[in-house]
Amino acid sequence: MVAPDAVSEEDIDKLIIPDDLPDEPTFKAYIEAKVYDKEGHLIQHHRQPMRSLTQYFLALMSIPLVGTYNGSSSNQAQSLLVNILGLPSQISAYQYHAANILWDWSIVLGSGTQSFSPTLTNLAAPISNGTGAGNLYYGSLGVFYTATSITATTTVTNYSASAITITEIGLRATIYIQYQNLSAMYVYNTYSSLLSYDTFSTPISLPAGGLAAFQITLTFTG
Amino acid sequence: MIDKRNNDIDVDIPNDAYDTGKDIPTFRAYLIAIVRDSTGKVINVHKQKSHSPTANFIGLLLPLSWFNNTGSSYTITNVASGTCSYKPGIGSSPPGIAYPSTANNYPVYIVTIQVGSGSQPNPSSAITLAAPISNGSGSGQLLYYPASLPASVIVSGSSAYFYISQEYTNQSGATITVTEVGIILQLTLADSSASSTPNCGNILIWYDVLSSSVSIPNGGSLTLYYTFTVNP
Repeated sequence: MVAPDAVSEEDIDKLIIPDDLPDEPTFKAYIEAKVYDKEGHLIQHHRQPMRSLTQYFLALMSIPLVGTYNGSSSNQAQSLLVNILGLPSQISAYQYHAANILWDWSIVLGSGTQSFSPTLTNLAAPISNGTGAGNLYYGSLGVFYTATSITATTTVTNYSASAITITEIGLRATIYIQYQNLSAMYVYNTYSSLLSYDTFSTPISLPAGGLAAFQITLTFTG
Repeated sequence: MIDKRNNDIDVDIPNDAYDTGKDIPTFRAYLIAIVRDSTGKVINVHKQKSHSPTANFIGLLLPLSWFNNTGSSYTITNVASGTCSYKPGIGSSPPGIAYPSTANNYPVYIVTIQVGSGSQPNPSSAITLAAPISNGSGSGQLLYYPASLPASVIVSGSSAYFYISQEYTNQSGATITVTEVGIILQLTLADSSASSTPNCGNILIWYDVLSSSVSIPNGGSLTLYYTFTVNP
């Protein structure tokens, strides 16, 4: 409770700006990494809090919060989708057909570092998917949820001949808008956004032939 | 051999490995209530952390991989206890969250930030407010103005936020006390041919019990702000 002494509109504007209230943290996010050598022995277990969600995460979560439309009688997309995620304000669809939106996530890893900004769009030095030198082979994304959290996991394998050092991690969204175009053909457009970016407090070294499991947990404690 | 190990690994970290006391919040939500009397003077300001996305919110935020991996759908429950099966997918048939188009539209939008005079103990499973205050000028009612949508995300250093707001006036003839708040979304799913358009109805997406109630005098008004922020 704030003392009722804020009487000006300027004071009220300040209240809307996030600050720190002296009670328990409401939402938390974690990054986990477990590294195994080629014999399958656990050689590193790293865990750290996630600190760095981006503005694109906010825009994505605005979809379940306020919807995709500007209002009940609108046929325009709400502003965050257009201004932040770069989605079209309206899809040109065939005759009586409709459009819909969905998204998937992926965990991306890199070998660089950069200062965090909520407007970051990519890792500093993403590690490509593959089996060649400097590449990591990315497994598919696993997802599970509880009443108050969503966890994403992926494993990567180092098939190259040398150890690979991982210093940064991000959660990326691929957004799909699918519809029937003006030629009555089913199509979808994709849009990509970086939802989070963190550098590891200790670099993760993945030996040749080894694999690592990475996990990002978003916890909404009710 | 590596491929087999890949499948065998248990990536679920035990809960007891978590040192939760040292974690830094990366996302927060706040609920701010401004109460004015009949002359427009601010008479109460209430600010608290907002705690409670509902199960509907979690389901709608899930990525496609969960649906593809499990083959399952997620059950959305509306405020009238009706249910809706949500299972998006790539292709012309699976209905997903409707998106604005030049052809048929099935708007998905915020209906209101609803206020109520009750409370309930487990917000994540809440499907409606415990005691919603209806829209009107009769006894026990508040006049609801439309919710204001965010125009953009405001970035400040490493932090970013947006907020939504709504105003209510009390023309009921008596003081009205608000103890709970929830965000109500109208959800319609649509496939790309518009041959399947399940109307999930009004769903509760976010819910908070106020840490202390706010009273709006007759002739007065209430303005609510929900602020959602990353890296505060």
